[in-house]
Amino acid sequence: MKQKFKVALAQINCKRGDKKANIQKIEEYTARARQHDAELVIFPELSLTGYTIRDELYELAEHIPGPSTAAIEKIAKKHEAFIVFGMPELSDKTQATLYNTAVLVGPKGFVGKYRKMHLPTHSVFEEKRYFRPGYQAGVFDTELGKIGLIVCYDLFFPELSRLIRLEGARLIVCISASPAVRRTFFETLTAARAMENTAFLAYVNLVGIENGLQFWGGSRLIGPDGRVLAIAKYDDEDLVIGEVDYSDIAPTEAFVPTLKDLRPEFFDKLKEKAEKL
Amino acid sequence: MKLTQQVLDLDWEEVKTKITRFIRDYVEKVKANGIVLGLSGGIDSSTAAALSAMALGGDKVLGLMLPEKETYNLTDIMHAELVAEKFGIKTVTIDITPTLEALQKSIPIFDPEDKLCKGNLKARTRMLYLYYYANKLNLIVCGSSDKSEVMIGYFTKWGDVAADISPLMDLYKTQVRKLARHIGIPEEIIEKPPSPMLWPGQTAEGEIGLKYEVLDLILYGLEHFMKVEQIAEQLNLPKDLVEKVKRRWKAMEHKRRMPLTTKLQYRTVGFDFRMPLT
Repeated sequence: MKQKFKVALAQINCKRGDKKANIQKIEEYTARARQHDAELVIFPELSLTGYTIRDELYELAEHIPGPSTAAIEKIAKKHEAFIVFGMPELSDKTQATLYNTAVLVGPKGFVGKYRKMHLPTHSVFEEKRYFRPGYQAGVFDTELGKIGLIVCYDLFFPELSRLIRLEGARLIVCISASPAVRRTFFETLTAARAMENTAFLAYVNLVGIENGLQFWGGSRLIGPDGRVLAIAKYDDEDLVIGEVDYSDIAPTEAFVPTLKDLRPEFFDKLKEKAEKL
Repeated sequence: MKLTQQVLDLDWEEVKTKITRFIRDYVEKVKANGIVLGLSGGIDSSTAAALSAMALGGDKVLGLMLPEKETYNLTDIMHAELVAEKFGIKTVTIDITPTLEALQKSIPIFDPEDKLCKGNLKARTRMLYLYYYANKLNLIVCGSSDKSEVMIGYFTKWGDVAADISPLMDLYKTQVRKLARHIGIPEEIIEKPPSPMLWPGQTAEGEIGLKYEVLDLILYGLEHFMKVEQIAEQLNLPKDLVEKVKRRWKAMEHKRRMPLTTKLQYRTVGFDFRMPLT
């Protein structure tokens, strides 16, 4: 397993509802990222289709694995890279049950998927109207170490990042479609999740305007000590490269040993109180 | 939350960037040739016109000046021309008086004493001209309505509010003033009392009965789920007054929506037919 590798944050503006165009863009950005020796290329939430899809989701969702994941697997094999992207998933057991899913593919093909657990359905968001929440955290063992996937609003729930860290992930990948009015939350919480878990966190946000919502970009790679190792532009498409070096974790973990100091007895209490909120 | 003028402060450069980006993105996505908008010489249309010009270039913005004899005001026309010149916007002036007179004559129940109905006819007539130009020249109609007006329904349904995009609709009037100042709208336009120009001597604040500085804070409080009592106490206003604004705020929803239908089938416009736009 590699101790050190480069990650590309592919902050793209998706063509809403046009999977073919978005797959082509994913290939272009992957090729560019490989020129900079990036081994993991990360795209935003629902980057296969765009975020604001509403009723068209039923037409655009696919099984995973399926034709679009096969197309992205092909890109991953061709360019010998790991790729994370987002897409609407159609359940293979029912006919119109959808998930907001993050997919990880690599040079050897399909690696895994994570179905978003926290679906925002407030303010401008209507995800629960369309999606069923996932029930499984997503941690995948790869040649780049254990990678944990989360999606956007999941970032607001420290339990999930903690869980994937405790399952061994040292890199948390958060794909996102965050509109501008929420920037402060994300800028704070991305650093917080990395620091409290002494892990790397790669956050990749969408840019562009969909249905009047302006997505702010600002993708970033954050180190276990909260340092911003790479940051993309606000509002415009961008591709930035940062380096993950797992050997940076130990000194931080020894300096602020949050994992050593975990108090599991709180978790039962949390569950009890949350159920009675 | 403390209701002071500061809560209405935004980063005006960022707001300008977002609005111009929004206008440009929309015009590009729908493959339009540019923007057409009514240019009254007032603060809202001046600001919308200037932002459109900043987004697309003035040569892609057409300002229609649509005066009529009852509300004719040379200062307003000069203000509209001032903005057009400053931001390089093309203008066309059409006197809509003959159209209004013909319309009035053709309506059997037309009542010249009913100034509201008569005034609304003017706003809706202006809309007809804007949409003719939009239709003919493949332009997008840019509305100038601000959030204060929209929240209390201070506009003509299907009249001045009718547009394809309304880039100022999420800014209260006092916020539009700040944005206008930031982008260089001449001070005399910002400072003059706003009027929808439906009848002579009409001023928005006179008709609403509140200064925008106060109205905007009440509306801001309501937007943020504050209780009437809290708003009244903080702004040192009678509870009845805030209650009255709230009643109007709620009652005007019919002016903010597409026509209501009753659900009869599988997916219904206005209920569960949910398509993205651009």
